[in-house]
Amino acid sequence: MWKFSLRMAKDRVFIVAVSAFTILTVYPLLHIIYSVARNGLPVIMERGPTFFTGGMSEAGIGPAIAGTFLLVLLSSLIGLPIAFLVGVYAYEYPDSLIGRTTQALLQIMLEFPTVLVGVFVMDIIVLPMGTFSALAGAFALAIIMMPYVAVYTKEAMRQIPFTYREASFGLGVGRVKAIFRILVPLAKRGITTGILISMAKVAGETAPLLFTAGGLYESYPTSVTEPVGAIPLLIYTLIQSPSKDAHSMAWGASLVLLIFFLGVFIPIRRSLKVVRL
Amino acid sequence: MNNYAIETRKLTIFYGENRVINRVSLKIPKNVVFALMGPSGCGKSTMLRAFNRILELNKDAKIMGKVFLMGQNIYAPNIDPSDIRRKVGMVFQYPNPFPHLTIYENVAMGIKLNGLLKSKEEVERRVKWALKRAWLWDEVKDRLQDYPSNLSGGQNQRLIIARALALKPKVLLMDEPTANIDPVGTRKIEDLIYSLKEEYTVVIVTHSPTQAARVSDCVGFLYLGKLVESGRTKEIFERPQHELTEKFVTGELV
Amino acid sequence: MYSRVADRFRLITSPAVFFVFILFCGMLAVYFSNAYPAIRREGVHLFLDNTWRAAEEPEEEYYGIAAAIWGSIYTSSIAILISMPLAISYSIFVVDCAPKRVKNVLIITSDVMAGLPTIIYGIWGVFVLVPFMKRYVMTPLYEHLHFIPLFSTPPISGFSYLSAGVLLAIMVTPFSSAIIREAYQMVPFRYREGAYALGLTRYEATKVLLGYIKPAIYSGLVLAFGRAIGETVAVSLVIGNSFNLTPSIFSPGYTISSLIANQFGNSFIYGHMRPVLYAAGLVLFLIGFLVNLAGMFILRRWKKNVEI
Repeated sequence: MWKFSLRMAKDRVFIVAVSAFTILTVYPLLHIIYSVARNGLPVIMERGPTFFTGGMSEAGIGPAIAGTFLLVLLSSLIGLPIAFLVGVYAYEYPDSLIGRTTQALLQIMLEFPTVLVGVFVMDIIVLPMGTFSALAGAFALAIIMMPYVAVYTKEAMRQIPFTYREASFGLGVGRVKAIFRILVPLAKRGITTGILISMAKVAGETAPLLFTAGGLYESYPTSVTEPVGAIPLLIYTLIQSPSKDAHSMAWGASLVLLIFFLGVFIPIRRSLKVVRL
Repeated sequence: MNNYAIETRKLTIFYGENRVINRVSLKIPKNVVFALMGPSGCGKSTMLRAFNRILELNKDAKIMGKVFLMGQNIYAPNIDPSDIRRKVGMVFQYPNPFPHLTIYENVAMGIKLNGLLKSKEEVERRVKWALKRAWLWDEVKDRLQDYPSNLSGGQNQRLIIARALALKPKVLLMDEPTANIDPVGTRKIEDLIYSLKEEYTVVIVTHSPTQAARVSDCVGFLYLGKLVESGRTKEIFERPQHELTEKFVTGELV
Repeated sequence: MYSRVADRFRLITSPAVFFVFILFCGMLAVYFSNAYPAIRREGVHLFLDNTWRAAEEPEEEYYGIAAAIWGSIYTSSIAILISMPLAISYSIFVVDCAPKRVKNVLIITSDVMAGLPTIIYGIWGVFVLVPFMKRYVMTPLYEHLHFIPLFSTPPISGFSYLSAGVLLAIMVTPFSSAIIREAYQMVPFRYREGAYALGLTRYEATKVLLGYIKPAIYSGLVLAFGRAIGETVAVSLVIGNSFNLTPSIFSPGYTISSLIANQFGNSFIYGHMRPVLYAAGLVLFLIGFLVNLAGMFILRRWKKNVEI
């Protein structure tokens, strides 16, 4: 016997709606991957390896790829040491006034609009230098990277069971050695994954580079005090050009960026327990 | 003053609002095995941690009164806790070798970081000595580069003892060291503890009166944060002065 | 009782901590000092008027960023309106319905969407979403319902508040759903048991449980709003970048972030434009800051009260 009632009907509708909305939430990602692949693959296939190695005159994005690598490397050099130390401080003294303020500050910086970081760096580095530069771009990316690495570091340290703290301090080696020589290495997996995710994230950033990096797509970067290109920045510029060729190139570059991002993010994410967005 | 390894005077410990240890005055002689016994959860582990100032890692803990190690007031204002901790070795309820270090490195780490020995050979010699003294050498001598995860519970606990011995402390603190070890491993560790008292003073926390009777020379009975009785094990067990003590040693109190 | 030995640890880590403090204060200082000339010159009208008169003669210049402020708030609001059912449904599905392996895949997918470079959302938005919206959503709605003020602008290019709002919704849903999902997952099992033991349908039981985590839902949406409002690249590519101030969702417009992105290049030629853009940045920071503060406050206070 099948009993029909309004209650059951509502329940049915509810389940259907929830499932539909769930699909609707993830569908865009699938469509994006499909679109980028569909539009970008032909471009890459057609131009072959020159797409990755050549400059703009050969319709290639080589300088942009090099630029992205350079920027990520530079920003890591600048930002990682500071962020790491801040994260360890926040772990060791979470309740002190400075500790609590630091954590609040990190939270604020995590949600800071990235374009504003770019404008700030423009004001203090680009204008005095008189030119866009890799240095400026890297500095902007470092500022964005810092709160992520600091928080990942702190969380990774917090996961260490208390008994290891007792054991390491119990050896009488003092706070500095107990933390940096025993506890930090214990947490090194969590810290490294946090660093890698943060690096992947800044590699995909566009807004902070708008007014700092400048763009360089004809030739490979040679100096950090000169303008440099980056893949996201290139895509942004190409989209706004009226030419169809530029758009094709944008799709090709997007495919490169997408593959790079997914290739780094997914494996790392699968080995991490908690992700901070 | 210098007659005792550890002496406390009106030691009182608060965890936040809770008074966990209440004006305990205790004297632990040198070169004995001293068992701190009492029912579970009456502050024994907490008091033990006051003896090497590891308790301070808990931000809620407040310590009042005095504690003397070999006659020295360890809570005096100009004392570096690390100095104290080097002189006192600790063994924990759940064996906690550093999982990311090899067996060798676990024992060597304390020596190296404290700069106790200069050359690599000296460190190696000390590690070997410590593992031998902890009755673990024969079982691990062929796999020093192996990781503690491949050792049994009892072996790991002896590794922890070796780690502590490597620093040549004066006193060894053991917090229910066999609570999570199988009976065979327990027996081995108890024999080891008994053998250590020649050179060290061992303070062992236990909730098992039978273990205290087996292993210790002297004993202190703690109940709800107060020291009820202390003295030579034989006397306390055969002629307990306090009703509570009698209940505990006969197994009525758990 | 505690040692007064000098803490070498603090010595090593403090410089890094101070650097961060100085950096943050520096950022605020730069924005305030650069924005001040504009605020002094135009006063409150800077934020209330919708004009953009860049001129050769510096005295002729006059700027009002109301359109951008409106656009930021409007598009972010559209975004969380769309995002709300999506994020909640997603959380319900992941926690209640999905088998374990699917659950993990869905969570990772959500995190991927959260971390995906925004320029990729942008390029998809420009070449795929906007034409789609124009053809299948905006044009039919306009043709049949253009008497409603909401739909009263003819969708010529498709670049509009609506397109931006939809794109933002897609980008921002993973953030709110992460918060909602975490809270929903932590509802003690006995409440679920209790609801179903009363014979409630899945719909009714879920409603009850969601009511239990209402503050987390608010917090998630508020935080999502904060994210949306700070988004620059993707939005600037699909919003049309025009100085309109209208509730009509098919109309192109501006957001603060896209205004800055778009106009900063020009600002070096015109004497008074730069301070205006810094002032706009200040407004953006303020809105984002207050919104995120509110979101975190709601979440924290609820967590304390409920002890989940």
